Amino acid sequence: MDFYLGLAQVIGVHTLLGLSAWCLLHTGQVSLAQGGFFAIGAYASGMLTTMAGWPLGVALPAAALISATVAVAVGFPALRVKGLMLVVATVAFAEIVRLVCFNLTWRVNTGSGPVGPDGSLGFGGIRYFPSNGWSSIEILILIWGLVAAVMLALAWFDRSRIGTLWRAVGEDEVAAQSVGINLTAAKVSAFGIGGAIAGLSGGIFAHQVTHIEHGNFTILLATFAIAYPILGGLASLWGTVLAVIFIQGFLIEGLRVLGDWRSLLFGALILLVMLLRPSGIITSPIGRWFARSIRFDRPAAPTTGGKTHA
Amino acid sequence: MNYNNLLDLSQSLIDGVLFGSIYALIGIGFTLIFGVMNKINLSYAAASVAAAYVSLLIVQTAPPALVYVAAALVGGVLGALVYLICFHLLPLNKPLATLMSTVGMLLLIDEAIVHITAGMPQNYPAMFVGANIDIGPLSLRSDLLFVFGFGCLVMIGLTLLLKRTRLGLATRAVSQQPVAAQLCGMSITGTNMSTFVIAGFLGGTAGAMAGAAIGVLSPLLTLPLTVKGLVVTVIGGLGSIPGAIIAGLVVGGAENLFQYLRGVSERDIYVMLLLFAFLVFRPGGLFPPPAGRD
Amino acid sequence: MQFRLTLLVGAVLGTFALTAPAANAQERTVKIYGIGAKSGVVRIFGLNSEAAMKAAADQINKTGGVTMGDGVKARMVIEYLDDRCSAEEGINALRRVASQPDAIVVNGPTCSNVAEPLFGILQKKAGDASDSGLQFPIYTDVAAKGGLASISEWSFRNVPSEAAMYKSMFEWVASTRKDLKTVWGGVEKDFAHSNATYNIMKDNATKAGLEVAGQSEWLLADTSFATQVREMKRANADVVAISAHPFTTCGVLKEMQRQGVKPKMLIGLTSSSSMETLQGCAQQAEGIYIPTSFAPVTPEAKTAAKAVQAFNVNMDLHNAAAWENMFVLKDVIERQKIMGKPETVAADRVKMREGLAGLKQTVGLLGPVNRGADREAIKPFLFVQAKGGEWIVAHKP
Repeated sequence: MDFYLGLAQVIGVHTLLGLSAWCLLHTGQVSLAQGGFFAIGAYASGMLTTMAGWPLGVALPAAALISATVAVAVGFPALRVKGLMLVVATVAFAEIVRLVCFNLTWRVNTGSGPVGPDGSLGFGGIRYFPSNGWSSIEILILIWGLVAAVMLALAWFDRSRIGTLWRAVGEDEVAAQSVGINLTAAKVSAFGIGGAIAGLSGGIFAHQVTHIEHGNFTILLATFAIAYPILGGLASLWGTVLAVIFIQGFLIEGLRVLGDWRSLLFGALILLVMLLRPSGIITSPIGRWFARSIRFDRPAAPTTGGKTHA
Repeated sequence: MNYNNLLDLSQSLIDGVLFGSIYALIGIGFTLIFGVMNKINLSYAAASVAAAYVSLLIVQTAPPALVYVAAALVGGVLGALVYLICFHLLPLNKPLATLMSTVGMLLLIDEAIVHITAGMPQNYPAMFVGANIDIGPLSLRSDLLFVFGFGCLVMIGLTLLLKRTRLGLATRAVSQQPVAAQLCGMSITGTNMSTFVIAGFLGGTAGAMAGAAIGVLSPLLTLPLTVKGLVVTVIGGLGSIPGAIIAGLVVGGAENLFQYLRGVSERDIYVMLLLFAFLVFRPGGLFPPPAGRD
Repeated sequence: MQFRLTLLVGAVLGTFALTAPAANAQERTVKIYGIGAKSGVVRIFGLNSEAAMKAAADQINKTGGVTMGDGVKARMVIEYLDDRCSAEEGINALRRVASQPDAIVVNGPTCSNVAEPLFGILQKKAGDASDSGLQFPIYTDVAAKGGLASISEWSFRNVPSEAAMYKSMFEWVASTRKDLKTVWGGVEKDFAHSNATYNIMKDNATKAGLEVAGQSEWLLADTSFATQVREMKRANADVVAISAHPFTTCGVLKEMQRQGVKPKMLIGLTSSSSMETLQGCAQQAEGIYIPTSFAPVTPEAKTAAKAVQAFNVNMDLHNAAAWENMFVLKDVIERQKIMGKPETVAADRVKMREGLAGLKQTVGLLGPVNRGADREAIKPFLFVQAKGGEWIVAHKP
């Protein structure tokens, strides 16, 4: 039982990460910076709970806010680049964040010895959950409560004017601009909101694994962040959830019965799903059923998935 | 700065620029595919390293030169396979789906290498062992000079191919206006496939050259080469072959420059900052593609 | 196409349902779980550990198996889970194991960056009711980054103490080779284990009276070492001590050959005393000295090495620890009267922890292994040297 609770926690954290990339993909931006925002959230919240002794309830929003601020700051210069150029520019940003984590040494003495980031040795001892007696089910409720809140907020955005603007920019930038949509506002707001969500998920991640180091936040993580919404389908938020369940639940944990074949099939099955469903899992019968039965967002209308060059 | 420091700095720069030839070769492959299909093939560097791995099969029986040729040929075959699986089966208007299919292929190739070799580094035959060209106190590695020369030849060859041959004409037509090209009787599949095979030849050679220059093959190589290849492609300007060569040398040189000045822990921070700034201030790269509506 | 995808998703749900393994009722067994990397660049570590665990279990079963708390003989069986060397996946694997009614202890993991989070989610102090951390004993064979077992009272390790090894190594160098005065280091800066070990090397070289002139640094995935080796060349030190894993160790050694850097002595990282280094660069590694906690020098070690070879892997210092762990666990199970039944599993885990914590000395392949109060091992070791494509014993301290 504990295992399934733990797995559901992991799925929750990755769903948040995927949703953060969803915001950007919706405005037609393929960003690999999400891993960087995730890392900022992880380090910031970990430092706040262990070094400053803040409760998690304050540290998590603070971490999200810090990530969002950095994301907005990155969003402005990133406006100038598009398509593949943006992919590489955001890779550069994510690598800078990772390397700053790698070089960051800031230890303070607390009652139980020194804590804090220790350069390449990583940042351990982020034991807020166990040392405050949180049970697996409580952690799970916290994580999925946040996931639900974020999804409701995004669904509401999507129906509101902001969502329409985002979509318009994502579908055709030039057309959107020519009808008077403010590209800067649309793109930078997507960066900011995506950054906040990624920071939130990073913050939970740090407390879930108790030890973080720069090696957790490589390009591979950022690739997964965009893989979830693309694999799931951009038409609905549920696509991202389905894709995370598919990758974390099925490909990684479910396929353990296959032994050595599991890791070989990992890439192959991602490839296969993309070939069978180029618009995402959400367009499959099971995806449509899933979206229909728990629907609070916009009905899955066929979209072209944005004119993103990548 | 005394004489020794100056000497070390120059030598570091030379080494870096020469090693950049390998990045340039990978970059040319990326840019070639992007130029034709307007899509990125993220599995390209992994397939290139895989081609070098496959060529190890004949390393016991064949001279090194033949091993490199084998790597190039395998690279071509892998290029065709990647095209058929990851690109041909997907609709053209789904660039994100193609992006993910090549990510899946990248992970698959990586893990296949790991499963066959258990992740252990493999010895790879070197070129021109011990033959360095000395200019005063500075020395140039002859194997990397060879890679550099090879890259320049490839550039000339590809430019001639694109400008002077029927295949080149078809390639340019397909990349500019696929539907019109098809209406004029050109085969989109055939043209794209040949581009992938040519890029694959190059990739296999680049994989072999990287293996020869480093002396070992390891699955650790694929991700850094993918990132370096992408970086070189965008700095050079999407679709520009001379741009990719210049960018490759610049990236290699910048890496070693910052390594010399700031040490290895901070090296990549400066390289990446420079890259970010470059892209923001010159979003088209060194040789921007002709402007037009996407 | 839709039908195919429906099938696929059906398989998702099906596999979820299938993940709980069916218990075999006919014969009494005791299952030892292993966790380690069997995917990615470090796959060899997981393969080696799993093979050593299985070979040791075979040996134990051949000699009658394990006597359980009720006096019944049980067969030892192994189940090994891949963690892909990722913290999250390692935690998933540990939680999966801890959810099994037959799991009393886990052997692993192989990566230090997985060991640290795994120990982190365990209860810090055993019996502390206010700490909701997992209560499950872990006995580590491979993950070598120094001092990790102090994180939790449920974590134990049987990895060599690199501090003791390099202390002895540099003392030996200083006393037997009076002509060696200066040391130049080489370190893989972004790999926590290499970095931590380099600090140990540096301290002990200085303490032994050698002068550490400086160090060259590189990263795990670096491919060009020309600048670093030039610094090394200019320093012209008598000894070059490299703290890096086989891939970059080989890259650096090849660059040293290219630039004609020939120190009087080469010293390497414990983890490089495996077949990987010799496979990557036997010619350039010729003569390198490495301290290790395993070499087939005693009769027990020879038997163990042969038994493991039957599983198509070589025995090195890492999986030798996995082999030793199986015999220690058999001993603890028998001494603590572990029942190994679903209804006693919580008590069994507590008893396993207490049994492991109570050990003062265990049997090792090279001789007795002392256990410290910090739940770490103090293992006997020796120095090996690469000669003609294999590792030979250079000195037994």
